[in-house]
Amino acid sequence: MKASLRRILVAGHKEFLHIIRDPQTLAIVILMPVIMMFLYGYALNSDIHNAQLLVEAPVPSAASRALTSRLNASTFFSVPGSIPASADPLQPFRSGQARALLRLPPDFEASLRRPGGAALQVIVDGSDPSVGSRMRGAVEGAVQKTLMDYLDIEPPHILDQRAVVLYNPEQRSAMFFVPGLMAVILLMISALLTSIAITREKETGTMGQLLITPLRPGEIIAGKLLPYVVLASLDGLLILIVGRLIFGVQVAGNLFFLAICSLIYVFTALSIGLLVSTIAKRQHHAMMMALGATMMPTVILSGFIFPISSMPLFLQVIAHIVPATYYLQIVRGIILKGVGLRELWQPLLILGFEGLLLFGLSIRKFRIKL
Amino acid sequence: MQASIETRDLTRRFGSFIAVDRLTLRVERGEVFGFLGANGAGKTTAIRMLCGLLQPSSGTGKVAGCDIQTETDGIRSRIGYMPQKFALYPDFSVEMNMRLYGGLYGLKGQALRDRMDVISRLLNLEPLLSQRTDSIPWGWQQRLNLACAILHKPEILFLDEPTASVDPVSRRHFWDIIAELAASGTTIFVTSHYMDEVEYCGRVAILVQGRIAALDTPVGLKTTYGHASLGEVFLDVVERAQTTSSTQ
Ligand SMILES: Nc1ncnc2c1ncn2[C@@H]1O[C@H](COP(=O)(O)OP(=O)(O)OP(=O)(O)O)[C@@H](O)[C@H]1O
Ligand SMILES: [Mg+2]
Repeated sequence: MKASLRRILVAGHKEFLHIIRDPQTLAIVILMPVIMMFLYGYALNSDIHNAQLLVEAPVPSAASRALTSRLNASTFFSVPGSIPASADPLQPFRSGQARALLRLPPDFEASLRRPGGAALQVIVDGSDPSVGSRMRGAVEGAVQKTLMDYLDIEPPHILDQRAVVLYNPEQRSAMFFVPGLMAVILLMISALLTSIAITREKETGTMGQLLITPLRPGEIIAGKLLPYVVLASLDGLLILIVGRLIFGVQVAGNLFFLAICSLIYVFTALSIGLLVSTIAKRQHHAMMMALGATMMPTVILSGFIFPISSMPLFLQVIAHIVPATYYLQIVRGIILKGVGLRELWQPLLILGFEGLLLFGLSIRKFRIKL
Repeated sequence: MQASIETRDLTRRFGSFIAVDRLTLRVERGEVFGFLGANGAGKTTAIRMLCGLLQPSSGTGKVAGCDIQTETDGIRSRIGYMPQKFALYPDFSVEMNMRLYGGLYGLKGQALRDRMDVISRLLNLEPLLSQRTDSIPWGWQQRLNLACAILHKPEILFLDEPTASVDPVSRRHFWDIIAELAASGTTIFVTSHYMDEVEYCGRVAILVQGRIAALDTPVGLKTTYGHASLGEVFLDVVERAQTTSSTQ
């Protein structure tokens, strides 16, 4: 027992040395999570911030100036000032100058006080559907409110409707992508890197050489996986720290519980990596398989980016097989809602079950291959 | 006295192809046993079965007193194996590879350091210890391979074409070490294609299509077949075995 543990540690240490001696792996482990966080955080951000909004005012007036400065003051939009009427209102969209255009009539000021009101037109760039609809709502809301204030009208009190947004009240996308990146990065370290590492040893024949030493197959696997568990844990921590310091994402729930659930997910992902390595003959096969069979479904089907409920039934079925789907439910639950085992036992159970199933399968296949 | 290696009708099939056919042999402790055969004769397959890496299709075998099918744990701690294909870690330094294999065999601390000193001196590996394994010449890689296989003082050493494409000086050095190991009681089971070095073996088995076609001392073989060199004996044995198998 003690000898066995020692052998596992020796094999694990060896694997660890491979990793720190390989700049490529090291870059994946350390830089990838940080780069991905910044990519998702800044580049792929669908939060609207300083979108270029043009106000077309053929005849500038006090009302149009009030509207322009009010819109400019909001963090959503940046309004460079009002522009004269143009023959082709779509030109600024084509040239990329504007994301939204608010067109006022020449008699704007006067028509405001006429029965029937002023006729305005809002044109919005809808190429990104969610950004488009949010800009539209924002422009309409801001215009309404500004003009009410300008005309000093109290809105009629027929109903008092208030919305409360839970968990992510400012609707910041960081709250959404940090859990998603946990799922993707942990999977990448655990499934992709391990399957490549094991396949490499099969390819170079060093696996056969290990088998001739007193190291048993189970010990080889344990030693092989050990460093990746450590790396995955470190990366999980790294994501949480960067998320906290740069993107202001606080974990609402219990950190210890989050760690346990993450380890169960890592175990599942490692089993996938192991399974891939029993099938793949070459490193690049392993990479393609791990990417195709695990990374893509995780990014696309887990609910990380696209909501599962709006997928066609066929994809929904697959989504409910992908382990990351359950992990994502769990991490979002813990980070955003601060809930615990009582609310999350179901996805946790499924995740654990999938892990055991995959692990059993891969161990069986691994032994047969020997 | 108990034999180091003893097999009875050891056979391995791959589908309908018989790679090793009813191998029966006995190798004594401290013997240098040569295993000759053309490419594809079944040498590597036989060694892999003896090391417990490959299950025989039928027949039995004992290595270092352990059954090759049921007591592979016992075998693995008692043997050293130098595979035909180099299989150490190219990204590690020479020293790291030695440390790793020593560790896997349970050596640690001062005992491991002492043993590594002895072996690297024996194989003249000292100046290369800190170099990356893939940066040293092939002959030296083979020495490192041998070093890793004997760190744990195995009772039996399996060498699968250890001197393939190694220069004559290094080959000579290699065989000096093999003789030294045998003198200290290590059993050597070695395959080779170089007839001149097979002369160093105590006994030689010639394998043709998985079957032992001749087995004797080098002198005995030369007398029996009436040739001056083992090379001629080998060609003769292979030819005779092939004519008998084709007339069958
Ligand atoms: N895993 C396997 N599956 C199918 N056939 C195999 C397998 N391993 C070996 N063989 C076949 O068994 C035969 C003997 O192979 P083996 O490697 O034992 O020969 P060898 O004597 O070591 O040859 P060489 O001098 O080329 O190393 C060959 O024809 C080989 O194709
Ligand atoms: Mg061979």
